[in-house]
Amino acid sequence: MNMVDVKEVSKTYKQGKVAVHALAGVSLSIAKGEFCALAGPSGSGKTTLLNLIGGLDTPTQGKIFLDNDEITGLSQSRLASIRLNKIGFIFQSYNIIPVLSARENVEYVMLMQGVPARERSERARAVLDDVGLAGMHDRRPAELSGGQQQRVAVARAIVSNPAIVLADEPTANLDSQTGQGLLEMMARMNEERNVTFIFSTHDRMVMDFAHRIIRLKDGLVAHEQIK
Amino acid sequence: MNFHMAWRNVWRNPKRTGIILVAIIIGAWTMLAYCALARGVMASSLESALNTLTGHIQIQNPGFREDPAVENRIRNPAPVAALLDHALPKGSCWAFRVQAGGVASNARNSQGITIVGIDPEKEPELSFYGNATAQGRLLEPGDDRGIILGQALLDSFETKIGRKLVLMTQDADRETASRAFKIRGTFRAEMEGTEKQYVFITLAAAQKLLGIGDNVSLACIRLPGRTGQDKAELNPVVEALTRELPRDLTALTWIDLLPLLKGYLGMFDRFMLLWYLVVFIAMAFGLVNTMLMAVLERTREFGLLKALGLTPVRIVKNVLLECLVLLVIGLGAGNLLGVLTIYLFSGGIDMSFMAQGSEFWGLGRLVVPFVTAKDLLSVNAVIMGLGLLVCLYPAVKAAGITPVEAMN
Amino acid sequence: MEILMAWRNVWRNPRRTILTILAIAFACLVLIFMLSVQVGTYEVMINASVKTRTGHIQVIKKGYNKDHKIRQVVSDPESIAKILDQTPHVTAHTFRANAFALLSSDLRTCAGLITGVDPERESKISNIVHTMRKGRFLKPSDTNTAVLGALLAKNLKVNVGDEVVALGSAMDGSVAATVLKVAGIFSSGMDDYDRSAIQIPLPHFQEVFYMENAVHEVVVTCDSLWHVSRVKESLAAALHPKPPAEPTGQDADQGLVCLSWDELTPGLIQSIQMDLGGGLIFYAILLVMVAFSIMNTFVMAVFERTRELGTLLAIGAGPGRLSKMLVLESAFLTLWGITLGILAGCVLTFWFQHTGIPLGGAEGMLKQYGIPGLIRPRLTLATALSGPALVFIITTLTALYPALKVRRLTPVDAMRAV
Repeated sequence: MNMVDVKEVSKTYKQGKVAVHALAGVSLSIAKGEFCALAGPSGSGKTTLLNLIGGLDTPTQGKIFLDNDEITGLSQSRLASIRLNKIGFIFQSYNIIPVLSARENVEYVMLMQGVPARERSERARAVLDDVGLAGMHDRRPAELSGGQQQRVAVARAIVSNPAIVLADEPTANLDSQTGQGLLEMMARMNEERNVTFIFSTHDRMVMDFAHRIIRLKDGLVAHEQIK
Repeated sequence: MNFHMAWRNVWRNPKRTGIILVAIIIGAWTMLAYCALARGVMASSLESALNTLTGHIQIQNPGFREDPAVENRIRNPAPVAALLDHALPKGSCWAFRVQAGGVASNARNSQGITIVGIDPEKEPELSFYGNATAQGRLLEPGDDRGIILGQALLDSFETKIGRKLVLMTQDADRETASRAFKIRGTFRAEMEGTEKQYVFITLAAAQKLLGIGDNVSLACIRLPGRTGQDKAELNPVVEALTRELPRDLTALTWIDLLPLLKGYLGMFDRFMLLWYLVVFIAMAFGLVNTMLMAVLERTREFGLLKALGLTPVRIVKNVLLECLVLLVIGLGAGNLLGVLTIYLFSGGIDMSFMAQGSEFWGLGRLVVPFVTAKDLLSVNAVIMGLGLLVCLYPAVKAAGITPVEAMN
Repeated sequence: MEILMAWRNVWRNPRRTILTILAIAFACLVLIFMLSVQVGTYEVMINASVKTRTGHIQVIKKGYNKDHKIRQVVSDPESIAKILDQTPHVTAHTFRANAFALLSSDLRTCAGLITGVDPERESKISNIVHTMRKGRFLKPSDTNTAVLGALLAKNLKVNVGDEVVALGSAMDGSVAATVLKVAGIFSSGMDDYDRSAIQIPLPHFQEVFYMENAVHEVVVTCDSLWHVSRVKESLAAALHPKPPAEPTGQDADQGLVCLSWDELTPGLIQSIQMDLGGGLIFYAILLVMVAFSIMNTFVMAVFERTRELGTLLAIGAGPGRLSKMLVLESAFLTLWGITLGILAGCVLTFWFQHTGIPLGGAEGMLKQYGIPGLIRPRLTLATALSGPALVFIITTLTALYPALKVRRLTPVDAMRAV
């Protein structure tokens, strides 16, 4: 059963007067429970592809199915609700909300989903403990290290049991030891919770962790490798 | 070079700069427009007061102002006439008047009025008398049986041109004197009160009615053009007149004659200053805030400049220069809009839709907004001076940034 | 939690927040104070005019308020008095008759307005009785006794006990003359009035001017300014079914009319409107000024946080949620500012309501309009809240601009922003 189906997707940006072809007809499928890396040099289109799968952006051509539902051509508010309920995001620069504490950041997603307050609090505590942040629930982002902030981001992404977690270069801003810890934790989440992970990366270490590596080059799938 | 840098910094965030510029422009513009309107209102009340028989300067018996009765008259007018004919600035005009309280009556009505005996040749250039004849004609020299009254008074007497009106007053011997006059014409004044208060007869007729020979109540003087609006312009003339005036007479300016109006105009001036201040404060919050944002988001940059060896004073100067750029652009556009607005209304604003209200406040029916060079200067000085002053805060803030702080 | 989040966001930049709150508070303060000053001044002006001159309502012959002709009389005032006795909200009523006359003392002659008043009932309506400077007010037993304005007394050079000769035209056009004894001198504070007014007992007036039982004005006061129009309506309705008062001479076709204070002194109400109009322009300018002054805060709240807003969009917040958050943030600022402004404005206004604002040089001028030397602002619920309500509307509109603009934000663009 496929979690993600990308069919003949291309994406063209206008940069000034020049048209940039970020993706030029990519097709791929990702099954449920995969731990999968999109690799390639910068400009190869991996972030664009991730954004398209996450419904953050719309393709110029082609179709994308998420959990067998087509997401291309949906309205902004429909997309927002899909992102909220089916997708978790992890960004290169953490992007957690600076005015909220670790626990509040995690709870915020459930708040938007309409989870009752008591359940929110319980689940947030559990998942923060699970990602290794026990005792730091009430710290604000400014009081956390980069690795800890990214753990909050992981907790936020997986707390509502999404169908898929999209991580855009999650280790790029971390030193290798912290990055490895984070990857180990994510791999464990993948196994224990059966969450589908898709990374974009050009980090060797991330690729070592991945079960499947899809290499992009100039907007096309250049090579695929399954371990 | 410094200016160049300031200019570029100002335009780093065009939207933010645009918004604060709009605030400065509106501030300068409305200050000017409001000031012009107030000046127009003041000029209009002054003009209307001067026109209502006050003139710029009056020669009187010293007792007349307190007690405008027949006793307090100029008993020897010939030397005064000789003096006024040669001592006044070129373009001035003057005339004698006789003035007395009395009652006008006909079969229909009777009302208290002020009888004014005038020189039919000279009075028209001196006061509202010559301005607007509603019906009939003005008095002719030697027409000692004729009377001119306000249109409103004519209406309330239910009479018309050619009919008779009896004037009753107290003569120099304290006897009741009365005489019938023929209505020759009516005048319109800016205020209905004026139309109802004054009736005009010839000087000779008034002298005869009161039994005062060739004596007069006062001489009224109008200085040329727009002069005579303040003390500095009036005092030299008054001094020159006082030197040669007979001992028993005095020269009074409108400021002496209408101290209340002077006080009122003074209040207007103070109110305007208050208005500047209020508008400025409203603007200052935005200005400081914007400059503060501009400074704080460049913390790194200021830290770097300091690390490069820029002294705090130089940084303060740089920030103030950015402020100056904002203020100069804002003031330029604001002044332009202000002057344009004044120009648009230079035909005057018709207040007649509020005739009774403006009469209540002593305004004329037409208000022509204008500003003086002093006003322009003070509006710009307030915004520029205080503007730079409040910008000192973000400037000092910027100067206080340390390189270490900035890199974190 | 959303409220908490908005609250924390507001205080991320305390300096900016405080400046913005102060700007909003300042606008409220100025508006409250100025409006209270205006209302306080108007009240004094209206009361001065109502209490010394017009009363709240007058029943007169149609046109009398314009021409003041002696023949325009109310010939049967008692029947109107009977109606008034049964009209609710009427606190007092009296009759008056007026005529211009030449007044002469031993030394001086000048024109004056003689008013015949009912001494007993007049004192319930007019405040002249409370402004006696010398001597006493009229008594019911008086006949050829008069009280006159201080400036008139000065012009005539008369004092209490002196005699004044009045010479005028009676209702039938014949000469009316009487010798009056000065019993008192009043100073109403309105120079115009004090310069010309002289009051004598109504019966004596009617005798001298051949008025029989007729009067010129039936003056009515009500328990409050707000009831005037209601009383006027019911009075007009009571007058209307009856045929116009008995025919007197050629004016028989003109009936009686019922006029309120604002119709009797249109200059007063127009001058108030003019002043209010000028004030409104002033307030509008101030509000626009403040709006632009604080707009940068709201714009920056979006601009600086574009990336963060993009993240929120990415993790599934809809544009509506972002708008709501921004509106909540601006509401905090606005409410703080307005609360502070109302407090400060009320304290300031209240303070000046007690001490009064001296007018310095303009005092004498304003006295002519019945405004005393000290202006006391008057704080009412309306003056305290209408200004801040305007501020609330304008700041909300200002804040709405970025709140709506955020709806156009797309997550990809937003997160790419610096």
